[in-house]
Amino acid sequence: MSNTASLGPVDFLTEPRQIQELRLHVREFVEKEVRLRVAENDRAAAEDFDWELVRKGHQAGLLRLVVPKEYGGLGLGVLGVAVALEEIAAACAGTALIFGATLLGQAPVLLSADPNLQSRFLPLFSGDEPVLACNGITEDAAGCDLLIPENAEHARDVMRARKDGDSYVLSGRKRFITNAKVAEFGSVYANLEGEPGATGLTAFIVPLDSPGVTRGPVADKMGYRACLGSELIFDEVRVPAENLVGGEGNGMLINIQQMNMARATVAALSTGIARGAFDIAKEWCGERVQGGVPLYKHQFSARKLAEMAAKVEASRLMYLQAAQAADTEVPAPVFPPAAAKLFADRTAIDVTQEAMSLMGARGYLREYGMEKLVRESFGARIYEGTPEVLALAIAEDLYTEEDF
Amino acid sequence: MPVFESGEKARRIFTDLFQILLKDDTFTARMRESGITLHLIQVKPDLELYITPDGVQDGPPTEPAVIRIKMSSDTAHSLWLGKLLMPVALATGKVRIKGSVAKVLEFVPLLRPAFDRYPEIAASEGLPV
Repeated sequence: MSNTASLGPVDFLTEPRQIQELRLHVREFVEKEVRLRVAENDRAAAEDFDWELVRKGHQAGLLRLVVPKEYGGLGLGVLGVAVALEEIAAACAGTALIFGATLLGQAPVLLSADPNLQSRFLPLFSGDEPVLACNGITEDAAGCDLLIPENAEHARDVMRARKDGDSYVLSGRKRFITNAKVAEFGSVYANLEGEPGATGLTAFIVPLDSPGVTRGPVADKMGYRACLGSELIFDEVRVPAENLVGGEGNGMLINIQQMNMARATVAALSTGIARGAFDIAKEWCGERVQGGVPLYKHQFSARKLAEMAAKVEASRLMYLQAAQAADTEVPAPVFPPAAAKLFADRTAIDVTQEAMSLMGARGYLREYGMEKLVRESFGARIYEGTPEVLALAIAEDLYTEEDF
Repeated sequence: MPVFESGEKARRIFTDLFQILLKDDTFTARMRESGITLHLIQVKPDLELYITPDGVQDGPPTEPAVIRIKMSSDTAHSLWLGKLLMPVALATGKVRIKGSVAKVLEFVPLLRPAFDRYPEIAASEGLPV
């Protein structure tokens, strides 16, 4: 028998005490505040927004999880955000994404390592009233062209930034921007005038009450209805040079970091959707008696439940590993967040559908909550990387040899 | 063809570079303030340096450093010459850094004086600049 002790310790991920406490804290917030409002927010008009729930989430610390302690935050990193999003998404993915999109807006400020930007924007999240942020990257003609460095030169009609004295003047449109309607500021990417495609991509922090910014109409979505997605239109918007993040032309670096941070948290969100569906199905299969025994005693049901449980657990371990990597590596590695998101997004779809089938007709009824989870399971496959984009990133990474 | 003909030469040059940085009081004060220690790993040719506010040590640290930077020696040469930009080097994975991301991003701008001095050091050692 081989002695594996000689190989050294294996670093199995154990949640630190603070993260375990956060999980319980957010779970309590979800039970007390979120669950009661899930159905109402899901059925409300597309443009309705539950500020009261956001205010409660703010009081619970959910808008400052990743903000460093010196700026009034909780300093719990991407790992903290990811764990919180799993817990919230188990009840409502749309509510989770309100907080997740705020992390995205905060990320460039954090990554800038610029004390000026940080001291101006990060304390906003610790005030009496909730402040939301958003990330303005996607455009009508440019999605992954703004995320993949090799695509940058092919990007078309990208929002422009023109240097003018001590300012930059931004013009263009951003599309499908979560929180755009309700955010105080946005992290906005624009290409420097004269640079081809998106090769001069540069990140700016733009207060959304700046003259020339218009918030477009809210998109009417299939799921995630608790959060609002809309256009942001910039018409000659003047942004001071001190709001530039990471220097001219470094937008792609900021963007890659942001994307890898986001993928770990979206994987967590998908894990939450899957867990939410699994919890409902598990309860049902324990209560529902057919043939004289609970459903879970039937071999087919047991097999489904076991596979669902294993997939949720595997998704969780993968997002935890990816979030930890995002907190400790530059550049954030490609593989762990992309693989975590690919797996967790698939898990959300598989588990919600199996859960629905276990519940029979009840799974199809709105009152049981399962159909909402099924609808929302498809959402995460679209934002922050479709399975196809993730597959390209993963395959590229598999065949990339380090030059050292 | 590699820029450095031997590990010994690369070690000498990069030790000198960080010793120059450590003569800057602002640099050492910021390192101390933020509790930053640096483990520099270069390969082809291989060398490892451990940099603290108190000096440059040849070889790996006995305890893990707060920040670990890994790159090839050729990449290091291009980087310090300013021919390869740090954001591009990081984005393309030519330079890999482990440690608290917040501390890394705080530390990178502090390296600015090294960019100013390296061309002169490299030229005096007969390296292509």
